[in-house]
Amino acid sequence: MEHLHDDVIRTVSDRDVRFIRLWFCDIAGTLKSIAISPSDLEAAFTEGIGIDGSTIEGLTRSYESDMILRPDPGTFELLSWRGEANATGRMMCDVLTPDGEPAASDPRRVLREALSRAEEKGLEFYAHPEIEFYLFEQPYRQGEKLRPIDSAGYFDHVHRGQGQDFRRTAIQHLEAMNIQVEFSHHENGPGQNEIDLRYADALTTADNIVTLRTVVKEVALSMGQVATFMPKPMIDQPGSGMHTHLSMFQGGKNAFHEPGAEYGLSRIGRQFIAGLLRHAPEYSAVTNQWVNSYKRLWGAQEAPSYICWGHNNRSALVRVPFHKPTKGTSSRVEFRGLDSSANPYLAFAALLAAGMAGIEGEYELPEGAEDAVWDLSERERRAMGIEPLPTDLFRALENFESSELMAATLGEQVFEFFLRDKKQEWDRYREQVTDHELASTFSRV
Amino acid sequence: MTIEPPTTTGALARLGFSSTDRVHRFLAEPVLAALGSRGPARLGATADGDDAVLGLLRLAESAHESGQSALMDDFLASVGTPGSHGERLIRLLGTSVALGDFLARHPERLESLREGDDQLTLPAARVREMLLAAVDADPSAELPVAGAGAREMRDALRIAYHERLVQIAAADVMAPSPTALQPQVSAAISDLADAALDAAAAIARAAVDGHEKVRWAVMAMGKTGARELNFISDVDVMHVVAPAQDVAPGEPADEEELVVIGSALARELARACSDRTSEGSLWQVDANLRPEGKDGPLVRTIDSYAHYYEQWAKSWEFQALLKARAAAGDTELGARFEELVEPWIWQASTRDSFVEDTRAMRRRVVAHIPRGEVDRNIKLGPGGLRDVEFTVQLLQMVHGRTDDRLQSRSTLEALARLGEGGYISRDHVVEMDDAYRFLRCVEHRLQLHRLRRTQVLPTSGADLRRLARTMGLSRDEFDRQYSRTRRRVRQLHEEIFYRPLLVTSSQLSDGQIALTPESAKARLAAIGYRDGARALSHISALTGGISRRAKIQRQLLPAMLEWFADGIDPDMGLLAFRRISDEIGSEHWYLGLLRDSGLAAKRLTRVLSASRFVGEQLEKIPGAVRWLARDEHLRPLPRDVLGREFLAVISRVDSVEVAQDVLRRTRRRELLRIALAHLTGVATPREVARALTDLAEAVLEAGLLVAFHVVALEREVVDEDTETLDEVDVVDVGTAKRLRERRSDPARALGVEMAILAMGSFGAREMGYSSDADVQFLALDRGAGGATGEIAIAVATQTQRILNAPAAGADMKVSADLRPEGKMGPLARSIEAWTTYYRRDAQTWEKQALLRARPVVASEAVAAGLREEMDRHRYPSGGLDASARREITRMKARVESERLPRNAEPSRHVKLGRGGMTDVEWSAQILALDHGHEIEGLRTTSTMDQLEAAAEAELITGREARELTKAWDLAWQVRRCLFLWKGREGDVLPSDRNELRALAWLIDGDDCTASDLEERYLRRTRRARIIAERLIFGTEE
Repeated sequence: MEHLHDDVIRTVSDRDVRFIRLWFCDIAGTLKSIAISPSDLEAAFTEGIGIDGSTIEGLTRSYESDMILRPDPGTFELLSWRGEANATGRMMCDVLTPDGEPAASDPRRVLREALSRAEEKGLEFYAHPEIEFYLFEQPYRQGEKLRPIDSAGYFDHVHRGQGQDFRRTAIQHLEAMNIQVEFSHHENGPGQNEIDLRYADALTTADNIVTLRTVVKEVALSMGQVATFMPKPMIDQPGSGMHTHLSMFQGGKNAFHEPGAEYGLSRIGRQFIAGLLRHAPEYSAVTNQWVNSYKRLWGAQEAPSYICWGHNNRSALVRVPFHKPTKGTSSRVEFRGLDSSANPYLAFAALLAAGMAGIEGEYELPEGAEDAVWDLSERERRAMGIEPLPTDLFRALENFESSELMAATLGEQVFEFFLRDKKQEWDRYREQVTDHELASTFSRV
Repeated sequence: MTIEPPTTTGALARLGFSSTDRVHRFLAEPVLAALGSRGPARLGATADGDDAVLGLLRLAESAHESGQSALMDDFLASVGTPGSHGERLIRLLGTSVALGDFLARHPERLESLREGDDQLTLPAARVREMLLAAVDADPSAELPVAGAGAREMRDALRIAYHERLVQIAAADVMAPSPTALQPQVSAAISDLADAALDAAAAIARAAVDGHEKVRWAVMAMGKTGARELNFISDVDVMHVVAPAQDVAPGEPADEEELVVIGSALARELARACSDRTSEGSLWQVDANLRPEGKDGPLVRTIDSYAHYYEQWAKSWEFQALLKARAAAGDTELGARFEELVEPWIWQASTRDSFVEDTRAMRRRVVAHIPRGEVDRNIKLGPGGLRDVEFTVQLLQMVHGRTDDRLQSRSTLEALARLGEGGYISRDHVVEMDDAYRFLRCVEHRLQLHRLRRTQVLPTSGADLRRLARTMGLSRDEFDRQYSRTRRRVRQLHEEIFYRPLLVTSSQLSDGQIALTPESAKARLAAIGYRDGARALSHISALTGGISRRAKIQRQLLPAMLEWFADGIDPDMGLLAFRRISDEIGSEHWYLGLLRDSGLAAKRLTRVLSASRFVGEQLEKIPGAVRWLARDEHLRPLPRDVLGREFLAVISRVDSVEVAQDVLRRTRRRELLRIALAHLTGVATPREVARALTDLAEAVLEAGLLVAFHVVALEREVVDEDTETLDEVDVVDVGTAKRLRERRSDPARALGVEMAILAMGSFGAREMGYSSDADVQFLALDRGAGGATGEIAIAVATQTQRILNAPAAGADMKVSADLRPEGKMGPLARSIEAWTTYYRRDAQTWEKQALLRARPVVASEAVAAGLREEMDRHRYPSGGLDASARREITRMKARVESERLPRNAEPSRHVKLGRGGMTDVEWSAQILALDHGHEIEGLRTTSTMDQLEAAAEAELITGREARELTKAWDLAWQVRRCLFLWKGREGDVLPSDRNELRALAWLIDGDDCTASDLEERYLRRTRRARIIAERLIFGTEE
């Protein structure tokens, strides 16, 4: 009867798996893991594994610490970098309260609920992320300059480059874990790489993103390097974002596609974009959750700092890419604002909710912007009705705090925790005395 | 003796015809010449003679035109012969106009009635062959495919289907006892539906390319699955597909292709059955029981079903699987599906959600019927077919886990097995079986008439007459039997499910059954009792023995067990009930009340399973059970009546101790009344707050009068009561006045008048069950001169002593801490000193506190003076000045950082937390301080009224007023409902799931969840906080 459970238990014994890691995320999107032995597997499926949630940020209220992890057997994979002998497996988990209800604070729960609200309208949400990150020779140490592993640029082929070996190895591991890689290449910055995952439903994609982040870090370590998904590690080099192509399906058909319409974009597609634009200031704290995120957004180099959309506009927040007229299934919108260090569960939930608000509220799509928004003057932008994204985390949080949409999407408890946690981050940042201040002010006064 | 054909309309009327002229004319038609002399009498004896004659005439004309005259005449000639094919025909025509129409279209099909199938013995396989042959498919082929011509095949399917239906209907109407044959009739219809699905599958295959790549089984669900189909009904199905292993050309289909082809087949099958052609249609094929319902894929593989059931399914879905049966298509694949789901069905009752789902199902069933149809709905109304099925299925699910003999799809068979297994007594099996067959027969006969899918009894006399006659009953007999059956089914659920829980083996009388303790516990667990063993011991204590009490409780308990189970905590409710019964079980009125007032008994179960406080109080004041029978007894007493009551109980006070005791007892009694009114919905939350405040006022007034008396005695200005006050037998309108007058003697003797100012929630009339009564004591010199202060303090001290005696639980505490100078100041002040204080020394917060101050005990003149003085301070002309505003803002900020208990999460603290009661109250108060001088509506002590007035004066928007009000109302309810549930008030929204669920039930009713309440509370208070911050701290958005 427990067919999938049995499959996992069988694989575990066939492949001589010694440990199974149960994975879940905290509110910030940091992967958490606990290992169990194969003999605990059955209990994990039937009763779940109890954990002390109070040790994990945002997962529980301090006085109510008992939580249950229930592994999702459909996500069982072997961690291939752990080797064949004494293999290690992993499963993604849902977090439950002791009486078996989904825990309000589980990011996976947040996304699941957002998805099922869309499904009630017959819409399924798919995502295809392009994940950027940097490779450095060694970890950050205070006072030392960061050393990228190479100095190549966009699409550069680096002969016997370490980056190339790196990507090949990482992709092998990802594919061994059933995560399909569409594309990978060197990015603009020195040591900067990009891996694109094949499109999948949003929940699977979010699982895949947190898995990829782990795989990338593990592989880097094994090659004596360090990987980071930090939005903007170096002031003079491009930041790492995660452009994500979003699409919706209705009854097996692409709901964004309408043959003959402008850009092949259906009414639902236009409303979805309108929703993404109108609510951008509110969800920005979720899609760009770090103090550092806003250094990427406001550091030029194609970063989407202004809330507008365009067809072939590489500076717009939302882009509608070309698609082959015959391929109705590939209509999609590219959201360019995400950080690769976002919590993908919360970020997808927030974007979906914004888009759904556009569809349900039948928002009008403002006119597209075809110019590079960066080149316009402040007045021109204002004349065109183009608003900026929040310029820093503080302003993003102000917008977030007054957003009913975000409170409803994340649930009151995640909403409140997130706000409190991020305000603390801002407060700590504000206390800093930076090198820049010292360099620019110390001698002048 | 030969019977002459009737020649007059009168004779026809006597034979049972209605439109005699017309019948007379029809019978004279030449095509009916072959009808023998007994014919008219036999026609008149059918269910509807007029229909029968008309049907016969149309059939004969049609037969004549199509050259079937000989066949027709053969039938006509035998009409008079009992048991003949002719009789078969006219009985059918008298019952079913629709099937008469079918025969008129196809007179050659009359042939199938010649031999008939009166015992319905035709094997299912033979029926399948007939229908497949009709659509030119080879019944012996592995994958039968229908012939060319989609439309012709559909017509052919419909004709063959209805031909067999004619045979089945004929057998039904010929049966000497319709109820005896009912299961066979249903089974025959189900076999026919199976065969039709197979033929429709053959038609679908002919229309779908690549069908051979897919193995496909059609699972019948619902009544079809149980082989208890009625004449016309949706046929519930689910589709299972698998790749065909050795398809000759090409690759086996992958999953995607499987689903595409399978879905196309399923859709074609549905159309082949339900499309309306010139031959009508069969029925709707309903695939909505499939995983994910309407939104789910139409077909799935076995693996996909397994995955779904493992991960997502709800218990009702497993209950539905109980009926799943391979009906058509690939039988081996179908059997695999049956095997797959079987273990789940029988584990369902152990799932966490089973109890909840079952409860919800019971509620849904009743809720969905239009009001006017409740009693006429054969299926869904109380005592209808669904009740029988529900009872049987529930018992199957509960006991089938451990007893596989019960694992049967058919209702009647399951019922019989439950009887054999000793889960239902034999007598009840027989009664239930009879009731089920009777109701099903009524349904059949109702539907046969026009082959319409109806479950509602007609209202017209003619329709009811025909219906009764098809059952072989007169109108009156039918009405009587119908109502009796419905009534009985309603009782039977109780008797079958609950009554056996009462019986221990030693008390067994004939026809009763004994459950093993394990079975009994399983039943109790299935409906939500957590501790089955203890519940059983309560039940046996309540029902054991030969006392009148035990006898009556044996009658009552089955229903009450169910009502307890519908409440929050059945175990707690049952225990409390046992305690109360131990206390007053032998009282005549108590048992009589429970027996005679269903309302009282039901309310008792509700309040006991919802409130620990009420359980404990009823144990002490069992007489209050009496109030539950009538709303007017539950309604909280108005202020003036309370005043009389309290003045009456102190009419004779010999000592402080006695006074304490009577006041406390009387107050508890009224407190209980308010709690009961709250729990039963007789009073709204706002009315409850008001009633609690009224109660506090009355208690306080009485306490003060007693205190005066005691002080006067101490100071020897009055004597002991030589003559007692009037014994108050009848408390009438004049009583209060008279008593107040008499009781004021000591005050006059002391030369002091006192007034009490209510503060805080007491002043605002917003009290909870355990709120302190905040007050200030004021005094006027009425002759005591210099001793006024001293006497007043003595009286105030005495009042507190009397009312604040060692407090327990819900006892009220009179607190004067909000008086000038707080605890340092004198307990009572002269009005002059009080006035001076407020004019000269009072802090801003003290003036703010006056916003909720209200004279509660004071002469009219004194009260007016107090109000006027307070207005100067609380509604300062010119509004709130900047420094006072700043002071209030700072005070609020300090309260937030200091008063909130350590460790308390601000968002969950109901009183002081984010957006909680204090936030809303202060918001309203700031508005009142600032604008009270110019807006009259703000000059009220009630927070909610202030907000409303502020919105009206456009100081805040309507939305803001609503958000603040909603947050405050919910917070108020959380605190008060926590008190009812736990017996003590709490200030924190619980995080314990059980407590949250109980609260949700108390606040929102049955259809609520813990997480909904939690989310709603956090949302409302968050919104309120945003508004409050703007109003109090002036932060603009």
